[in-house]
Amino acid sequence: MSDASLPLPADADQLAIAALRRKNAIWRRILRDPPAALATLFLVVVVAAAIFAPLIAPFDPYASNMRLRLCPPGAARCAANWLGTDQTGRDMVSRLLFGLRSTLGICILAVAIGGGFGAVIGLFAAYYRRLETPLMRLVDIMLSFPPILFGLAIAAVLGTGLTSLLIALGVTAIPSIARISRAAAQSTMQQEYMEAGRAVGLGDGALIWRYLAINCWPTILIYLTLQLGQAILLGAALSFLGLGAQPPTAELGSMAADGRKFLQIAPYVSTVPCAVIFLVVLAFNVLGDALRDALDPKLRQ
Amino acid sequence: MARHIAQRLMISLPVLLGVLLIGFLLLQVVPTDPATVVAGPTATQAEVAAIRHDMGLDQPVWVQFARYLSRVARLDLGRSMISNRTVVEEIGFTLWPTVELMLASLIWAVPAGISLGTIAARKRGTLVDRAIMALSVMGVSVPIFWIGLLLIQYVGGAGLLPFQGRDGPIWTLDGLHSIILPAFTLGAVFVGPVARMTRTSLLETLGADYVRTARAKGASDWRVTIRHALRNALIPIVTLVGLQIGFLLGGSVVTETMFSWPGVGRMAVGAITSSDFPLAQGAILILAVGFMTINLIVDVLYAYLDPRIARS
Repeated sequence: MSDASLPLPADADQLAIAALRRKNAIWRRILRDPPAALATLFLVVVVAAAIFAPLIAPFDPYASNMRLRLCPPGAARCAANWLGTDQTGRDMVSRLLFGLRSTLGICILAVAIGGGFGAVIGLFAAYYRRLETPLMRLVDIMLSFPPILFGLAIAAVLGTGLTSLLIALGVTAIPSIARISRAAAQSTMQQEYMEAGRAVGLGDGALIWRYLAINCWPTILIYLTLQLGQAILLGAALSFLGLGAQPPTAELGSMAADGRKFLQIAPYVSTVPCAVIFLVVLAFNVLGDALRDALDPKLRQ
Repeated sequence: MARHIAQRLMISLPVLLGVLLIGFLLLQVVPTDPATVVAGPTATQAEVAAIRHDMGLDQPVWVQFARYLSRVARLDLGRSMISNRTVVEEIGFTLWPTVELMLASLIWAVPAGISLGTIAARKRGTLVDRAIMALSVMGVSVPIFWIGLLLIQYVGGAGLLPFQGRDGPIWTLDGLHSIILPAFTLGAVFVGPVARMTRTSLLETLGADYVRTARAKGASDWRVTIRHALRNALIPIVTLVGLQIGFLLGGSVVTETMFSWPGVGRMAVGAITSSDFPLAQGAILILAVGFMTINLIVDVLYAYLDPRIARS
């Protein structure tokens, strides 16, 4: 659904990796770019809000109060609910905070697990030359399917719910991370210390985990973070379709779907969660673009 | 060229098998025993066993998979558990509306994206360029359902355009009316990527020697941009658009569901949420196969436009 999912030529990966090795300089570049700095700051605040949601949420996100149902923001009868209340009188601010918490939590967990698998695939493809073609072909095939199709198929086999959502998001994170990880590992493979390790008689396991992986993980971690924006968008779409998080779970996508029925009388119930998703994904994409520009010397001029 | 196509088909074969395996799996997770259902509530144990044998359910899984493959080859995908129509029939109803929606989205989004990208490239570095690029990042960040919700709220809610269902084929006036909002929603997420690709591709060709030659001949700025540079920039744009069409298919799942558009995507979601396994299997199968077909066509087209690809 976005150009971020387009396959990059392999040498572009290599260029990006080489540049990432000078990462301190890159972070300085990014922080000097106002939109990117703003995006970074926003994401820090958002993540903090998600982590501390139970402490800062003014109300219980699941406590309904039918006397206050669909009370618009700023109305006198629900002055304590800054963003109003939803269809069962639950506080919007608290639900948004908890929604952010579950949306981010699910996406981070899924991308971490899927990215972990992808990273291992990439490392193996770079280390064992014989495995390279079959593994990378598999990755290309996965990359060629629209992510939402994985979501549909997994929800169909395992049923709808958070587990399916988690698996779907994880699976879609595998191929792009595998590509990045292979590119990173390939350039590390050419380093002298790899040869030195082999010369002193280290086994494959030690070489892969203690030499290769340890040098590749910062690169992989950065790309994993950037993958989060896409995961949030996909997760929200699946939950919106009713295939992911189920009501009454406070999750941004299903909150947006829930509020759809009251669109004409209380549009904020679904608009506000949508806006939050948009801003978070936008921040990830702005940061990702800045990083890509900083990494790709060809685009920099 | 023929070799390239053959090669591509060879790669698609295992993928197709994988897709079919998922379809087969879907029919395996049905919580009720199909033989018991067919036999009816009064059947004896022996009758159920006989029916199970007739249906091949006592065979090893791989034999059942082989039977499934032969059924799919004969276009027998089973029956929907809810409507009791055959799955192939259901797909027949929904396929065209989906194609219609995708075409209607592309027809405005691609020209819009190319125009915006061209303007951005021509005004490179100016405020206009920055605004267009900012718009394009926003376009890829916005949840597609928000665009739909806003349109339903403001345009649909005001009674300006219909937003529920498809009122007829696109060539009728009612049909045309009812497709505007869904097509706008689906196309909106497509404009940004196309604009961005156009800008990048055009900036490359604008630096080419033949563009300088055209300038030296005294051609006007816009003439150089459109006749000389854009024409050559178009090849990568067309292919990238082709590759993204598959992702449009993904977006159509959400759009169709929101606007009650009777397409394959909405059918897939409906079948999954109502546990209509045969229909879900058919919908996912047709989405995946449709997607693979588009990719194959784009790939072959690309090789045709740029022979270097086939040779490598």
